[in-house]
Amino acid sequence: MADVAASVPARFNPWPATVFVALCILAALFLAPTAGVLLSSVKTTRAIALGDLWSVPERVYLENYVEVLSNPAVHRYFLNTLLVTVPATFASIALGVLAGHVFAKLPFRGSNILFLIVVSGMFFPPQVILVPLFRLFNGLGLIDTLWPIILVHTALGIPICTLLMRNFFAAVPNALREAALIEGANEWQVLTRVSLPLSLPALAVLATLQFTWIWNDFLWPLIFTQSDDKRTIMIGIVNLRGQYTVAWGVQGALSLVASLPTLVIFLFFQRYFIKGMTMGAIKG
Amino acid sequence: MAQVELRNIRKSFGATEVIRGVDLSIDKGEFVVFVGPSGCGKSTILRLISGLESVSSGQILFDGKDMTRTPPSKRQLAMVFQSYALFPHLTVAENIGFGLSLAKTPKAEITRRVTEVAKTLQLDSLLDRTPRQLSGGQRQRVAIGRSIIRNPKVFLFDEPLSNLDAALRVSMRLEIARLHRELGDVTMIYVTHDQIEAMTLADRIVVLNGGRIEQVGTPMDIYENPANTFVAGFVGAPSMNFIRCRVDTDGAARFGPATISPARPHEVSGDALLGIRPEHLALVESGDGTFDAEIELVERLGAESLVYLRAPFLEKPITVRTGGKLGLSERQAVGVLVDLTNLHVFSPASPAPKPEH
Repeated sequence: MADVAASVPARFNPWPATVFVALCILAALFLAPTAGVLLSSVKTTRAIALGDLWSVPERVYLENYVEVLSNPAVHRYFLNTLLVTVPATFASIALGVLAGHVFAKLPFRGSNILFLIVVSGMFFPPQVILVPLFRLFNGLGLIDTLWPIILVHTALGIPICTLLMRNFFAAVPNALREAALIEGANEWQVLTRVSLPLSLPALAVLATLQFTWIWNDFLWPLIFTQSDDKRTIMIGIVNLRGQYTVAWGVQGALSLVASLPTLVIFLFFQRYFIKGMTMGAIKG
Repeated sequence: MAQVELRNIRKSFGATEVIRGVDLSIDKGEFVVFVGPSGCGKSTILRLISGLESVSSGQILFDGKDMTRTPPSKRQLAMVFQSYALFPHLTVAENIGFGLSLAKTPKAEITRRVTEVAKTLQLDSLLDRTPRQLSGGQRQRVAIGRSIIRNPKVFLFDEPLSNLDAALRVSMRLEIARLHRELGDVTMIYVTHDQIEAMTLADRIVVLNGGRIEQVGTPMDIYENPANTFVAGFVGAPSMNFIRCRVDTDGAARFGPATISPARPHEVSGDALLGIRPEHLALVESGDGTFDAEIELVERLGAESLVYLRAPFLEKPITVRTGGKLGLSERQAVGVLVDLTNLHVFSPASPAPKPEH
């Protein structure tokens, strides 16, 4: 009997296969644009113009990359983007860390309500504040500088940074803070010497998220800058098109080059990133 | 002058008052242990002394100086937590030297003192490990090391041994006693619910109940002369037996068929509670004792046995502590002899003893 039972094949379960196929299709769909950009970046404009978009070229044409990398305007775009992204990432995380520590460890009357108000900033559509902000910065004489982009990204980053840091700090046992206080630490030392070193995963998550988000932003630089030497890389990609032609190959090359820094940041923080995303989900 | 003085300390959390007027003065070099049931406020008082909680009213004085509003970092005391509260991202050496590095002590000096402290606590081989690589006992020794390195005048211990297993608890208890002896003039305030820790470590025990002090005294004083039924029932394991009785004008207590005259003078008359410790009762042949009872249960603990007896006139079974080897069996009738020199007579209005565990 046992032999007979063992020889009966396990009933075919269609679910894992279906899920696998669906995931493969999704992955292909998500990768297709990147693959398309990669393919067009190594083709001549002529080849692209002939409509030969998806074929693998016989000869890899690297002139597009040479043109992009030797273009002084592109250098300027990169520099501008760095000048916006790095300070805004730092500032928003720093403010989130400070606010998060207060909300997690130093509650005061009404702090929960205030926390909700701060976090609700995440659900604010940027289009709503676009015109008022433009008029504000125009009045301050800051239009066509990088300042408005830095300030707006810092402000828009505060809700998510505060939320994440507050939740992380709340998970740091109170006894650690109390032990540090007894040992003679002030609140700033509690934060910098105890809470922050224990929250590296959260910092890595925020650094990756904020850096990627600000680096890839198109809207705010488009609104606040006008002259070419103030543009960031995402606007720069669009600007590369000629007056009468669209340089697909060059744009493709720049798109790929422009996405490298965010990739590097992600790879750098990846270990912490995964840990941070799943922390608290399981005990341990 | 008292090292630590509490003057009419009160503490409320919202509408609930948890500390209801505590006065206490602790001398320099004294080892004071707070005991009491869960929720009696013993840990809260410790946190008030440390400054981690602020008092609702009252005063806290160190060396005669008002410290009531001084932040914990400026009170110059050390605290050992039940959860150890070691910094998980720092090594043992960094944990021990944490306070010194906050005080910007030179690196060489920190290293020297950490090595010194590690030697006294037998941690020298573990200095480069992180807390997660240590056992419970080692962690608690690191926590103690962190607290002694700054040479504070007052040590606070918040149930430091309750996370350890029984054997380790005994050895750490001895270590804390040794530390107190070696450190000389330091004041230690220790919170525990473990009576053995309280009895063995304390110069003075403070028994707390419901946010108030029930009694303060040396361990033996508390054990032999409990101020009321709460203290009598809380201190000592197994608990003191309480028997409802009537006290005549001549001082003799009557319950059931028995009449006994406590040797110690007392001022209670009318309805009363007679308190007898289990070791002050002896088992004899039926008819030979103060009263007769029936054995309900015998617990053999090896060196001694606990015998639970019942009789129609007893509300609850009473406990007798006797020698280890006994030819006793359940339902056997025995006589009970009461040691008249160690009887306690309480008025029934005195606070209720702790509920049976």
